Amino acid sequence: MASNILRKLSCSLKNVGLSGSRVYQGLSVAPSVLSRCLSSEASAGAESRPTVRQHDAVAREQISDFGRYVAECLPKYVQKVQMTGTDELEVLIAPEGVVPVLTFLKDHHNAQFASLADIGGVDVPTRMYRFEVVYNLLSLRYNTRIRVKTYTDELTPIDSVNEVYKAANWYEREIWDMFGVFFADHPDLRRILTDYGFEGHPFRKDFPLSGYVEVRYDDAKKRVVVEPLELAQEFRRFELNSPWEQFPNFRDTSVIEDATTPAAEKK
Amino acid sequence: MAGVTLKLATGLTGMKVARHPTKTLSGIYGKILRTTAKMPDDAAYRKYTEAVVRDRAAVVERAGDDWKRVEQELNSGQIEELIIQADKELSLARKMLAWKPWEPLVTKPEADQWKWPPPK
Repeated sequence: MASNILRKLSCSLKNVGLSGSRVYQGLSVAPSVLSRCLSSEASAGAESRPTVRQHDAVAREQISDFGRYVAECLPKYVQKVQMTGTDELEVLIAPEGVVPVLTFLKDHHNAQFASLADIGGVDVPTRMYRFEVVYNLLSLRYNTRIRVKTYTDELTPIDSVNEVYKAANWYEREIWDMFGVFFADHPDLRRILTDYGFEGHPFRKDFPLSGYVEVRYDDAKKRVVVEPLELAQEFRRFELNSPWEQFPNFRDTSVIEDATTPAAEKK
Repeated sequence: MAGVTLKLATGLTGMKVARHPTKTLSGIYGKILRTTAKMPDDAAYRKYTEAVVRDRAAVVERAGDDWKRVEQELNSGQIEELIIQADKELSLARKMLAWKPWEPLVTKPEADQWKWPPPK
């Protein structure tokens, strides 16, 4: 089938008047055309477009198996295990279990997630515990990644994982700076990205886009001055959200899949 | 030591060649098993760790002084790396005794905590 299409395509290219070698080059830059032909003829289901990510069912099953393994080993801390739409494993844990879970993932023979790639934060103000703290781990031994998520609010401290991963030092300072999440037992918790004397936490949803102060050089005083922000024109309200709901049919749909039971048993 | 060649270097920065690798390794595996023995019988962590460690200890025992065979059969890095892995597991097992992760869930999440997209 594919070779047929290739032949047809090369014929058509020849008809346009390209030399043989150019036809070959033309094919290498025309996969989108090719795939469109194929996908229209192939049965729905298997993804064949090269620009769309392919799902590897075996790898997905393996990694969700590992998620269940973690949940079984640490039932005290793991609240939920899920797979994202792009086949990534997420382990959602109680905030008390940050150090035990990450230590387990780092030191256990079957995990060996020896490097901490990043710590991230999410602010969802409608939740009772509005901040999510996200740990991205990498296991070089097994060539696998895992994401550990936990939550907190403005006042509740989370245990620092600096003792487990030295890389966490600056990442946690970053989360403290941007979100104001307090990390208990951190050796040196202070701002890392914002300017000297900065107040507030810019990644919080209630932090205004323009900030609270503006900094400029004052020619009379011959120095930089910090002043409360004054907008030159009267503040206008830019309402970017549409008053209509765009996709009401997809209001509650999510690509995230609960991985607490194996996929084979669900069917 | 007949037939066992000495390793000249691990080829990894900062990692020195172990003197008596198989002896060290089986010693640490014994310590891990004695630590996990203090955990409850039905703890999943104990079950899986003992399975892995027994497996590896058996390979080490079969190989005797031949570190090359251990590396080939376990296929999890050089024997010096295996020692590091075992050391980590031992420290983890000792910490687990204090954490007791086999107990039921400490905190139940709020109903909307893990919902995405979040409710408005």
